Amino acid sequence: MNKELEHNFVELLEKHQNIIHKVCRIYTNNYDAHNDLFQEITIQLWRAYPKFRGDSKFSTWMYRVGLNTAITLYRKSKRRISTQSYDEVQFKIKAEDYDDTEEQQLKLLYKAVHHLNDIEKALVFLYLEDKNYKEISETMGISEVNARVKMNRIKTKLKTILNP
Amino acid sequence: MDELELLKKDWQKNNKDYPKLSYNDIYKMILKKSSSIVKWIFVISLLEFVFWGFISFAVKDTEVMERFESYNAENIMTPLTIVGYAILAYFFYRFFMNYRTISVTDNAKILMENILKTRRTVKQYVAFNLIFLFISTFVVLGIQFKKDDQIVSIIDNAATNGELFKFYAVTILVTLLVLVAITLIFLGFYYLIYGILLKRLNKNYRELKKLEV
Repeated sequence: MNKELEHNFVELLEKHQNIIHKVCRIYTNNYDAHNDLFQEITIQLWRAYPKFRGDSKFSTWMYRVGLNTAITLYRKSKRRISTQSYDEVQFKIKAEDYDDTEEQQLKLLYKAVHHLNDIEKALVFLYLEDKNYKEISETMGISEVNARVKMNRIKTKLKTILNP
Repeated sequence: MDELELLKKDWQKNNKDYPKLSYNDIYKMILKKSSSIVKWIFVISLLEFVFWGFISFAVKDTEVMERFESYNAENIMTPLTIVGYAILAYFFYRFFMNYRTISVTDNAKILMENILKTRRTVKQYVAFNLIFLFISTFVVLGIQFKKDDQIVSIIDNAATNGELFKFYAVTILVTLLVLVAITLIFLGFYYLIYGILLKRLNKNYRELKKLEV
């Protein structure tokens, strides 16, 4: 039974792993940190899995556990030596129709997002993942109105960073 | 275009740029141990309960306690000991119940609140212990003033030399200073450990609370 549970879980996670990668992308800025956080989220998901009822979608459930781990449970590991930044390694910003100004803007935007605080990052992340305000408010435990107000403030903040 | 919309467009386009972990990679991960702050809070809290429990046991068989038994002050000491253990049991129960409510599948705010609540129980327990330490030290001191032969003779001497007030003042002051020093060491220790452990959580919790105003 336990083996079966393990197998189901690993298979589901393999399929939906991008969600965790994306959380790590928002909250970390180098390779080792990314792997570290990925591992902690995976462990937390696995521990909570026996209680997963399937009445919510596995992916929806992953957003919640992933963000909770990133903003609440995760302790930054000390064994982080590499400072290789993402943008240099793997997550190159690719604009399909190569547009210099747009690429420049995107670079600045990603940088700006990294300067937001943990809660703002969580809201931006859910927004980028196309979650509606109801889902955002339920995940964070704040009201829908407050989520909207905060989101507008973040937009203004990003605008100011881009056009000082 | 809105900056965030631009970002969103790019974000959703980049789906394939992430690393792809294999079934085995993920399987290996679930066998590893967590290093979450909840685990650390649990371990440190257990150590605190063990530490204070150990102190009360360790004190029992010391020479001081044996001498103390000769004062026939059981009517004060026995209730103090029983109350001490009852309160330990109460706090431990509450700590455990709070710990069990921590669930990573709650929303962010509730999760943070539950962690802070668990932590608060331990904080209250430590505060209780420090207060208990103050009270019992002074109770013991009071008994010694009356019943310890050595101290009674010192008091008699001081009384004949007219230094009774000085004797009481110095003894009480020194005891108080020792207690304050012990308290400060504990508070410093807590400030350091929990300060490091909960810094991020506290910051994020404040940020969430701020959104409600």
